[in-house]
Amino acid sequence: MIGIKTEKKMTSRENILSRAKANKPDLLELPVINVEVFADGKDLLEEFTKKVEVVGGNVVEQNVSETIFSQVSKMYPDAKVNYATLEGAGDFNTVSLEALKKPHELENLDVLILESILGVAENGAVWLSDGQLPIRVLPFITNHLVIVLKKENIVPFLHQAYPILAKKDNDFGVFISGPSKTADIEQSLVIGAHGAMTLTVVLK
Amino acid sequence: MSHSKAASIFNTDEKKVNWHDKALWFVRHKRDKSVHAVEGWENLRSLGHGIKAHTLSNLDHYLTEFEANAIKNGVQVHWAADAEEHNKIVHSILKKHNAKKIVKSKSMLTEECHLNPYLEADGMEIIDTDLGERIVQLAKEPPSHIVLPAIHKTKEEVDELFQEHLGTKPCGGDPQYLTGEARKHLREKFMEADAAITGVNFAIADTGGFVVCTNEGNADMGAHLAPVHIACMGIEKIIPKQEYLGVFLRLLARSATGQPITTYSSHFKKPIEGNEMHIVIVDNGRTEQLSRPDFRASLHCIRCGACMNTCPIYRRSGGHSYDATIPGPIGSILSPGKDLKKHSTLPFASTLCGSCSDVCPVKIDIHSQLYKWRQIITKETPQPLVKKASMKMMGKVFSKPSQFERVGKVARWSLRNLPKSVINSKPNVWGKERDLPLGPKESFDDWYKNREKND
Repeated sequence: MIGIKTEKKMTSRENILSRAKANKPDLLELPVINVEVFADGKDLLEEFTKKVEVVGGNVVEQNVSETIFSQVSKMYPDAKVNYATLEGAGDFNTVSLEALKKPHELENLDVLILESILGVAENGAVWLSDGQLPIRVLPFITNHLVIVLKKENIVPFLHQAYPILAKKDNDFGVFISGPSKTADIEQSLVIGAHGAMTLTVVLK
Repeated sequence: MSHSKAASIFNTDEKKVNWHDKALWFVRHKRDKSVHAVEGWENLRSLGHGIKAHTLSNLDHYLTEFEANAIKNGVQVHWAADAEEHNKIVHSILKKHNAKKIVKSKSMLTEECHLNPYLEADGMEIIDTDLGERIVQLAKEPPSHIVLPAIHKTKEEVDELFQEHLGTKPCGGDPQYLTGEARKHLREKFMEADAAITGVNFAIADTGGFVVCTNEGNADMGAHLAPVHIACMGIEKIIPKQEYLGVFLRLLARSATGQPITTYSSHFKKPIEGNEMHIVIVDNGRTEQLSRPDFRASLHCIRCGACMNTCPIYRRSGGHSYDATIPGPIGSILSPGKDLKKHSTLPFASTLCGSCSDVCPVKIDIHSQLYKWRQIITKETPQPLVKKASMKMMGKVFSKPSQFERVGKVARWSLRNLPKSVINSKPNVWGKERDLPLGPKESFDDWYKNREKND
């Protein structure tokens, strides 16, 4: 209404934004990232394998003579509840995600096989996102996690990973580097905190 | 209580102090090994510094951009001017969902706001799910370190605590067994949770997403199972673009524990269909710190804890001696900005050796800021009489070379000739717990002059 002064208390949002505006320094320039300064000439496959092992995981090659499902089944002979998002899982899958009422029912999942589109050599991390995750809690709630990754999808540093991810619409995504772990009791490393207790990357 | 007084309590158990000191130095050493293997590490630190400095210089813009994108993603955004408002907002969201059981992953901000007691007062059960945080929660203590919350506890103490609260068997402090039992105990909590609270490591303006880093997977177990996820962040967590995560995720874990990256770096953007995601953006004194040119760089902090692990004072005084949410060197430059009087002794809990600034992944000039706070504090808060008098005396001695030489002569003679009972007597705090060196016969000045003569 023109001519009538309305006295309104500033909301916290307005308050914070106006204080940030008033108290900030003059605009400083954003630095430019030159990724070449980080190049260390390391062999990608070798470095990736080394780093996955450093963080407590395993790296194996996919056997050409058998399916990934029989290869993984041999790795975990005692597993009862298995699930794979890969095509042709057939009998390997002992649970049907469609039949779940809530993700909590995955509590007893023993082995999960997922595919990753991206691995990072410098830290052994593999990327999983909604595209590969029918249910978000899957890679965390499973006891054992197996991730299939194509060798050519390994990049040297995170700097090369983000431009690839920028092109994809990730509602949720996670870099996973090794099995879950903690060192909260006297700095002794214990593998298997809340998430997966083992992590195997199968390279193909 | 002053820091030095609290530290002297921690120091009554000498064996434990030595153990604490070594445990943290071990982490510092792991950090060194890890960062020395990174080509261009100093460039990476400079980038971290530059990106944070730029972001703060345009903070209102990036906060607005982040909010707009988060809302587009279907996330509900809330703003809290202070701790009380933050707690009220979180409480009201939980109330709306009739949430009684809440799981929370590590968030120093919710510690700062004292969220747990606020929610507990209304009968809610709030469980800290990070193992270290669960340990201190059971012990009814605050975390003593921001990355290693229970670093002050021995495995035997954890053993006893778990026996009492979780009904575990005595195990002589076996970390493997204790961690396994904690996993079972917390699994139950994740299964039952009505809501999950997490912190935020980085909030990305251009996507409206945020990243949460854990090694245990506790943030994800909570956030993906519960129907409501509330993420709490300080305004300084913003970064302009997702690609800058490449810089910060490379810096964070290496500086914290020497790992090349945390086990889980989870990028949240949209809620699970049918679930709710909330972000609470909190000021609580940060815009005020932003107004102080000498101290605003303290807002660059990415909470790695490297400055604590390297600090000779922190390692020997323990995190609790700081009586602040964020202990150690970084806490000592943040806390005086919040309450100068309460935290007036913290900037003095430093040797000003500068090791904190050297290891800081975003190049905060921590030791210079500690020095600058000292200048302000000595002017604005009353100082102990003895300190004031001795500083005055020292000032006089140092201002006149002839007087300095006379005092030096007496001091050197005294150190050579007086009995230990006098040298290590109570007024001489430098003689506490250590033998002073034998006084040399000549001063440096004498030695230098004699050397010229002999040439």
